[in-house]
Amino acid sequence: MSDHLRDYYDLLGLSRDATPEEIKRAYFESAQKLHPDKNKVAGETEIFLNVQQAYETLSNSTRRAQYDATLPPAAQIPSLPYEHKIIYSRRNLGKIDEPQMLYAMLDLDAPQETRRASSSPLNVSLVIDRSTSMQGAKMDTVKATAVQVLRNLRPQDILSMITFSDRAEVVIPAAYHLDRARLESRVQMIQPSGGTEIYQGLEAGAREIMRSLDPKRINHLILLTDGRTYGDEQQSLALAAKLAEQGVGISCMGIGSEWNDIFLDALSTRAGGSTSLIVDPRDINRLLLEKFNALIQTYAEDAVLDVKPVAGVELSRVFRIQPDPAPVSLNEGKFRLGPILQDTSTRVIFEYIIQPTEVQSGELTFMDAALKVTIASHPFPVPPLRLRLLRPVSSPSNPGAPPVEIQQALSRLMLYQMQEQAREELKKGNVEKAARHLERLATNLLTQGERSLAQTVMFEADSIKKNHSLTEEGSKRMKYGTRMLFLAPPKKELAQ
Amino acid sequence: MIICPNCQHENTNGSVFCAECGEQLDGVETLVTQAITEDQISEDLRNQAPHPEAEATPANSWLSLHLMDSGKIMPLASRNEFTLGRLSEGQPIMPDIDLTAYQAYASGVSRLHAVVKRDESNVVVMDLGSSNGTYLNGRRLTPHTEERLSHGDIVALGKLKIQILLRNI
Repeated sequence: MSDHLRDYYDLLGLSRDATPEEIKRAYFESAQKLHPDKNKVAGETEIFLNVQQAYETLSNSTRRAQYDATLPPAAQIPSLPYEHKIIYSRRNLGKIDEPQMLYAMLDLDAPQETRRASSSPLNVSLVIDRSTSMQGAKMDTVKATAVQVLRNLRPQDILSMITFSDRAEVVIPAAYHLDRARLESRVQMIQPSGGTEIYQGLEAGAREIMRSLDPKRINHLILLTDGRTYGDEQQSLALAAKLAEQGVGISCMGIGSEWNDIFLDALSTRAGGSTSLIVDPRDINRLLLEKFNALIQTYAEDAVLDVKPVAGVELSRVFRIQPDPAPVSLNEGKFRLGPILQDTSTRVIFEYIIQPTEVQSGELTFMDAALKVTIASHPFPVPPLRLRLLRPVSSPSNPGAPPVEIQQALSRLMLYQMQEQAREELKKGNVEKAARHLERLATNLLTQGERSLAQTVMFEADSIKKNHSLTEEGSKRMKYGTRMLFLAPPKKELAQ
Repeated sequence: MIICPNCQHENTNGSVFCAECGEQLDGVETLVTQAITEDQISEDLRNQAPHPEAEATPANSWLSLHLMDSGKIMPLASRNEFTLGRLSEGQPIMPDIDLTAYQAYASGVSRLHAVVKRDESNVVVMDLGSSNGTYLNGRRLTPHTEERLSHGDIVALGKLKIQILLRNI
């Protein structure tokens, strides 16, 4: 589509029924990206002027009405710079007198032709815990990996490095890095000592990212820690939400078993990222390099789903299956589904519980949502995709078997869910129920050939029976181990 | 509502896996007992590929299963642990030893029924929470509890009787 064919709504990345607030917000976002002080590519100033004109027209209700009258009818499907696909667990809903469940799976992909295209430059801050407990193999591997990361940087990438204990130091400020030898020696001089105050580190990392914050870059903060922070959790979460608003993603890596997984999960999901568990310090290297690789592979840095409530329909669970398996939580009315990589689909499964009162004849719209994707390399904002998901109602219902992809995803989600259920029961003090959930999980893991994880789970079931609690290490191994199963190909294929 | 055939948990209509025990539920709208015809069973038998574990020779196996109804002896080697059960179509999980060919369904064998494993000195059996239970020489075992096996013991998975033949331990 050439520029002069774009209408004002396309230009601002809006749908035709956008509210005045949405128009204002879209304008600010575009202006930030295209402002003549910032843009470097020829032609962007013209686009910026068009955007201003669009805003002046649409922000005034009289002018907007006049303009709307001149528009041709809206295209049914906007042309989007990404691909999406939705499949359902069943063809139709049954007209029955009890609640029913439905699953939908959303795949988001970069378009075929861009998959091999050069990717956006990075603006990454690596925030490293240097508390006393990091001494030894952990810190040595972190340092070696940091040096490797520095050497792998492309000339266009910006990297900053922060260390923190009770306070934070900027080891490498955010900049292009040419004199790498000098930076490497600075990394080597990092000495572990002191406590763990995560907010200090986050705050310093955020400041470095903000200095070169650029919507055309992949802006991301990586936190590496092995300990717990006390008293500054709320402050940290608020900062994470603020960073997410600015388009900065957060990934966390917890080393060993002493860190607070609930806190780090909350921190990373708030910004569409994920948390990984590092059991063996030797894995720091692989996981951190994989993370940087994923950042370089990023096509769209964020996909945010804004879901309108539908009467009688509960969206009971949202889980990202790949690239980083993690539950997706609702924050301020939005689900951050995370980035879309160039060659891996972003796959998310939605679980709905539908009340019988809403299932009348005809069809039922069970989800009404808008998907907003942010693509760093795109000069224009991407118009929101209206997702109105519906299923026909039939009676009697004919469920049929769900598609294989959904079966596979759910067979693993079931495992993750079982250990979550065990935690919930344990919290309520139902020791026996909790242990039973874990025993059943172990049984299921054994059938899938996951012997070592099954053993961990059995050990934890015993720990629940004896001590009424989980061990720190086993608890994390179960949680992140069952998440990692989503990425593993099934060890035993279905025999057909 | 879907009642789980394995644990009787009441699942919401449309569930794909049992929320309680993880059994796959799809296509099961209400609890119905399905009659299996002889034709279907013999078809299952024909489709049954020879089990890779069965290729172990008696010489190197530490355990052989003597399926008492059919008289067949299945020597096992290569691993220290085998899960026993029956394969069911469309199920992403499967036991190491599939007993479908030995009338497992009719005998009340769960999809994942029991596990037999060995350590340095012992061979043990453990019931994996099966519907119809595992019996050792006629005594019902407590689920998820290991019981030591001796040469010649008779283990029943539901009604399917298997004699345990041990060697080299």
